[in-house]
Amino acid sequence: MQFAKRGLLAGLALGALVAAVPAQAQDEVTITVWSIDGANQVGPSDTFSKEFDEMDNGINVEYRILQFDEIVNETLRAFATGNAPDIVSLDNPDFALFSSRGAFLDITDMAAQSDVINPEVYFEGPLNSVSWDGRLYGVGKYTDTIGVFYNKDMFAEAGITEPPQTWAEFEEYARILAKPDQGIYGATLSARGNEEGTFQFLPVIQMSGGGYDNVNTEGAREWLSMVKGMIDDGVLSQDVLSLGQWDSTGTFNSGNAAMAISGPWEIDRMVEDADFDWGVTLLPTFGEGDERSSALGGFNLGIMSTTEHPEEAFKVLEYFVSQDDRLFPEFGYLPTRSDVELPLSGIEKKDAALAVFQEQLQYAQPRGPHPEWQKISKAIYDAEQAALTGQMTPDEALSQAQATIDTILN
Amino acid sequence: MRRILSSITDGKGFDLIMVGVTMLFLFALAGVPLVYNVVMSFQQVDMFNLNTFSRPFAGFENYVAIVSQPEFWLVIRNTAIFVFGSIAGQFIFGFALAIFFMLSFPFASTIRGLFLVSWVMPGLVVGALWGWILAGDFGVLNAILRGLGIIDGTMFWKSDPNLSIWAVTIANIWLGLAFNMMLLSVGLAGIPRDLYEAAELDGANGWQRFTTITLPMMRSTIGAVLALGLIYTLQQFDLFPAITEGGPANSSNVAQYWAWQWSFQLFDFAKGATVSMMMLIFVLVASIVYVRSTRHEVRG
Repeated sequence: MQFAKRGLLAGLALGALVAAVPAQAQDEVTITVWSIDGANQVGPSDTFSKEFDEMDNGINVEYRILQFDEIVNETLRAFATGNAPDIVSLDNPDFALFSSRGAFLDITDMAAQSDVINPEVYFEGPLNSVSWDGRLYGVGKYTDTIGVFYNKDMFAEAGITEPPQTWAEFEEYARILAKPDQGIYGATLSARGNEEGTFQFLPVIQMSGGGYDNVNTEGAREWLSMVKGMIDDGVLSQDVLSLGQWDSTGTFNSGNAAMAISGPWEIDRMVEDADFDWGVTLLPTFGEGDERSSALGGFNLGIMSTTEHPEEAFKVLEYFVSQDDRLFPEFGYLPTRSDVELPLSGIEKKDAALAVFQEQLQYAQPRGPHPEWQKISKAIYDAEQAALTGQMTPDEALSQAQATIDTILN
Repeated sequence: MRRILSSITDGKGFDLIMVGVTMLFLFALAGVPLVYNVVMSFQQVDMFNLNTFSRPFAGFENYVAIVSQPEFWLVIRNTAIFVFGSIAGQFIFGFALAIFFMLSFPFASTIRGLFLVSWVMPGLVVGALWGWILAGDFGVLNAILRGLGIIDGTMFWKSDPNLSIWAVTIANIWLGLAFNMMLLSVGLAGIPRDLYEAAELDGANGWQRFTTITLPMMRSTIGAVLALGLIYTLQQFDLFPAITEGGPANSSNVAQYWAWQWSFQLFDFAKGATVSMMMLIFVLVASIVYVRSTRHEVRG
């Protein structure tokens, strides 16, 4: 009798468990989000995912941090094996690889009915990078660009009053400011053999009248010779060839370089780390009043077309977009849309830097979009590295890149 | 029926099952991927037909495209430097250490065991460590070399196209040293002591004993160590992304890293497969050497 009773109880308990599991599964939908935010420092996607997850709305968000170098790769592999996340955040030139092949969900109609997402308010560059064939496949998460950070204390000490406006001035000042005996370089930048190299070099091509389809411009050749000369003379560290922008700018923050080419993602760390007065100026041009250009950086958010819960995923996306006004004050990122007011932070250097980067954004030009952007980009950074290491002359390197790019485009 | 049963438990049937299971395992986990790789190198593959088999046939297009890449010969040269540099370094220093630890001094075997630390560490960790050691402006190695007065300026191990492949090779020598030392120690321990005693009585000096006893007696071990070294070096991948990323300008790019770049940075999986097919030929040669040098051991 005792046994029977126990058995009954156990059976009931088991039954309740079995009943409870599917009920929970029906209510709770889990949306997975992949992004690189949180890898170096706290960012919007990790923060917003956590907030949305904690809301009691029947949608859980599972967030995964990936490294910059591996996010495209991981997403590809996951997509090929049918384990893709619901939402993924990709660097804007990588987006077309997926959207052009229908790997991202077409959200044109959903956005048309949404109160939160309005494609019309987005800047042209970021909007182009999430569009393919006139359809919308995602939204810009944040945007960025590059300019020149300069150490005002070093400038003052050397009697230089204004930051460089042309590349000739950039070189002149860097040569004055370099102090090899104290381990101080005149400037630093990133000519690394990956997307970061292209990110910093393509604007130079663009401002000299070229583009990713026309790389062998006179200005680009001149610039490569100039930078090579500075490396040879120890004005720039040879390590610009292997350092990423984050590490390269680290040497500026520690006072080992007088200028650094980098973007607004550096501002928060610089406010913390740099114990000197610094400022930002626009990326130099070739001649005074010449055409400006800069890189258009930043990440996009898209829903993968393989998602089982497109509506819930769209809700998560809407939540992310609704928090755009927090991007700058909390994370130092610039929104991709024109209708977000950027409040002053009260930190003088940060606000001044922001104003410069906002102006710079007007000149920012996107990379691509092209489904084979990675190959185009490799041709460009390979050429830069070949010229800067002296393996080829700038002309040889750029014509070789042009030949490679031509076979990809045609 | 009983005969079949008894043959399974104790006879030919048992042997067949043992061989069969191994063959099945090898076929599924080594054979199929290998054939798949061969097939892929003759197709056009991108991310969207990656999970299907019906892809456009490309013939030898991938092979032609790979060989006509401007960096092809540079990659071959680097691979040769990396492989032969690593093997030579690992073998010579490994042999020297192995002989050194054959001497009996206090804690000899304990210290020898400690050398295995490098072999136990994951390649990425070793790569990150050497990445810091070899850093240009703030690297440990440069600080030491400057302190010793060997160099004046800064050696940009990771960014100088003349040094970068050597930087990775140095790290790889360190990584594989312990493995070589261990295998060679085992070989040395297998040489009967009385041979040396007899030679000594006959008046042979150290060098003569080394060349006439140690080396001939170690022949099969040395063959195996070199062949395994070739295979391990050709599959050494972790150090490259961690130290130089194949750069600058492909000056430290080797075949195995290049294959990965094709597949996972440029998403041209067919060309990645093509490069690895080319490597396979070298590995096959090494495997034949390895099998031949260890053959009599298996039979003996």
